[in-house]
Amino acid sequence: MQIAIQGIGVVGGFGTGVTEMRQALLTGTSNRATLDLSNCGTPLNIPAFRANISRLTDYVPLKALRRVDNFSKLALLGAYLALEDAGVLAEGKQERLGVVIASGYGATGITFAFLDSFINDGDICASPTYFANSVHNSAAAYISIMLGATGPSSTVSQFHHSVPSALQTAWLWLAEGRVDRVLFGAVEELSELIGYAWYRQRGTAHKPEMTPLLTGVESAIPGEGAAFLLLTRKEEAQDGYCLLDRVTTGRLLKPGFLSSPQDLLVLGADGRIEKGGDYAQLAEKSTVACFTALYGSMPCGPALDIAIAALMLKEGKTFASPGGGICDFPASVAAGGNILESHRVSCLSLSDEDCFGLVSLAKG
Amino acid sequence: MDTKEKLKKILIDDLNLEELTPEDIDDNAPLFGEGLGLDSLDAVELVVIIQKHFGIEIKNMEEGRVAFQSIEALAAYIDTRMESA
Amino acid sequence: MTFAPVAITGMGCICAAGNNLNDSMASLFRGMRAPAPPVSFTSNHPIDYPVFEVLNFSVPSDLLRTSALGLHAAREALADAGLEQEMLSRLTVGVCVGTTVGCAISNETFCRELRSGRTPKLAPLERVHRSNPAAVIAREFGFSGPCQTIVNACSSGTDAVGLAASWIRSGVCDIALAGGADELGRITYIGFISLQITDESPCRPFDRNRKGLNLGEAGAMMVLESEQVRTMRRKKARSLVLGYGSACDAYHLTAPSPDGAGLKHALTEALACNGTDPAAIAFVNAHGTGTPDNDRVETRVLAELLPGVPFLSTKGYTGHTLGAAGAIEAVFTAACLERGEIPANAGFSSPDPELERNPVTENTPFSGTVALSESLAFGGNNSVIILGKGETA
Repeated sequence: MQIAIQGIGVVGGFGTGVTEMRQALLTGTSNRATLDLSNCGTPLNIPAFRANISRLTDYVPLKALRRVDNFSKLALLGAYLALEDAGVLAEGKQERLGVVIASGYGATGITFAFLDSFINDGDICASPTYFANSVHNSAAAYISIMLGATGPSSTVSQFHHSVPSALQTAWLWLAEGRVDRVLFGAVEELSELIGYAWYRQRGTAHKPEMTPLLTGVESAIPGEGAAFLLLTRKEEAQDGYCLLDRVTTGRLLKPGFLSSPQDLLVLGADGRIEKGGDYAQLAEKSTVACFTALYGSMPCGPALDIAIAALMLKEGKTFASPGGGICDFPASVAAGGNILESHRVSCLSLSDEDCFGLVSLAKG
Repeated sequence: MDTKEKLKKILIDDLNLEELTPEDIDDNAPLFGEGLGLDSLDAVELVVIIQKHFGIEIKNMEEGRVAFQSIEALAAYIDTRMESA
Repeated sequence: MTFAPVAITGMGCICAAGNNLNDSMASLFRGMRAPAPPVSFTSNHPIDYPVFEVLNFSVPSDLLRTSALGLHAAREALADAGLEQEMLSRLTVGVCVGTTVGCAISNETFCRELRSGRTPKLAPLERVHRSNPAAVIAREFGFSGPCQTIVNACSSGTDAVGLAASWIRSGVCDIALAGGADELGRITYIGFISLQITDESPCRPFDRNRKGLNLGEAGAMMVLESEQVRTMRRKKARSLVLGYGSACDAYHLTAPSPDGAGLKHALTEALACNGTDPAAIAFVNAHGTGTPDNDRVETRVLAELLPGVPFLSTKGYTGHTLGAAGAIEAVFTAACLERGEIPANAGFSSPDPELERNPVTENTPFSGTVALSESLAFGGNNSVIILGKGETA
């Protein structure tokens, strides 16, 4: 069975929506902002790719968002953008829609706020609203409630393996006929907690730009954002982006596993030095691209790679890897603006737990 | 500031009723359902809010139900508890 | 669409009722339970709420307790299935685990230090990073198959077993370890108290005086196995996954839909998977948390869709173990099918005139071969799994 990508909703350092993402891909630049850590005993900002959620009120009245936390707002914005992009926003209740959410860290901002509520005022003053929002599936719940999606809902959380793992669930739901559509989304927020951990682990000496294909160099800049895909079975698809041909996940991937070396390979390498070598080893001799420098290092990044790959397949053209694609291992980096010669594009992501995800997309 | 005014400000801030001002809230309008539109999760949050801002413990929802009728009722409940303390 | 049954060839669990499946079942049928105020942490809340803690269990310092509980149950399940490392290394083995706490990037001591202006070391967060419950099991045994950690709050464990059955049917792995794990801790304890759905007394599922749940902790795992591998090694099935259904209420963040719409939907889908006749269901292992809302919705749906089918909640013996609940209840359901008997619903003494159905009040034998376990979760998730009796009983 094959699955079709019908709509894409993205938000991140590059902007909001497919049009702004496309523009960033063409120019190779993205907005770098900062994350304020002054409440963490570290009077400083660190550079970061931030997401702007201001457009959410185009879709949801402010009143309905009054207790929705930042993480769920990011998710809701991604969800509405994907439905709008697919042209199904006006359809009303989505009874045969499943919702699958992937997040490496979850709603750490509101989790921290919940802890603050009883650290500051005692256990008896713990906020039940913050607690409810801190539960991992609250973003999926808000999406289901607001869209009237009464199909199944599932949230997956396992750091950099969350996206391919969750996408496999979306695939199986469609293959087994449990739903007619799946709204698949990946979400990451930069909270003080994540920022502090980043600062403690990697310090403040940031490179001016991410160079993720220089695998011997630490150049990661943290990012946040969301990437949502509206998926349906190929047979029921209308004009969309491309097909989701295969999702393969597992552990302990060995070099040579990548079965179609002629496919363009989008690497999830994100400037973290500890993973660079693994990508280099697996991608040797392939034609590669890498887009993390547009949105930053974040566990849900592989979903943005899928969105970018889908856009390439739809347009039949390649986008240049930002930063000129300087590469220090024997692979050929695809140039931008060319006709996409391969029929398929595969996105590879590797996690710290030795898990891999290979998501192969094909022309529709 | 009397208890009612203080309460309205606190509810707007702590329950994120951003689109309202204290003047918009009718002293006698129901807090739940029609009226202010609060729900069961707000009810348990309200217990914490009253504890945090007034130091008054509402032991359970049966007790809360009477107090949570309206701003008027809640302010009266708080004033009575403060006096008896 | 009809789905082929998937064999369960091994099971393991650890909870307040016992450190393995046999001990836990023995406690259930002896009606033993001992909820008590927490031992492993304290709270300055004026009331001590009883919890179901696993005592006498040691955790390696580099792991979260949650992951250690999952690993403990996984070892028991693999041993029960007779699967040794040598054979496992030749198969594609997947791991699917439901949890809540096992994925929470939070640590109270760390956050207190951060807020007091100190710059705490990352060790507690690094421990979380190393302890993703599915990854811990896959790493421990060197598995190469798919690996997923599901965080659907209180239906996570049921969803993990349901998804793993799909993995086996679709051929993405030969064997899947599926279940759930969750530890007790201050953060969830304080959180559930703040929601006012915690009982000050030992929990009383379906009783008219029920005031809420008691938290518990557990790990529970099942070995799901492809027919190809099972035939090759001539292994009998202890139980079978016959159906799984899941649906969202799309109603409210914390309250179940009063008409049980999502639960009905999930139940109907689970029955349809294998064309199970509702009249064939021998018993229902209900979610039965003991909260007024949950038990009201659940009995309403059971009265409508499965009238006359005996039901019980095992949470009176284990507490509500959150992400592990669906998994440990699936394990108990399978073990009860083998035994042909269900235990009394602990904590029930006074029928609630508002509820249309009452649970079993004593250990009750039955003769059927199919049973159903259901989970209702925060966020409006409802998941139902249908299990069949295996060949060994």
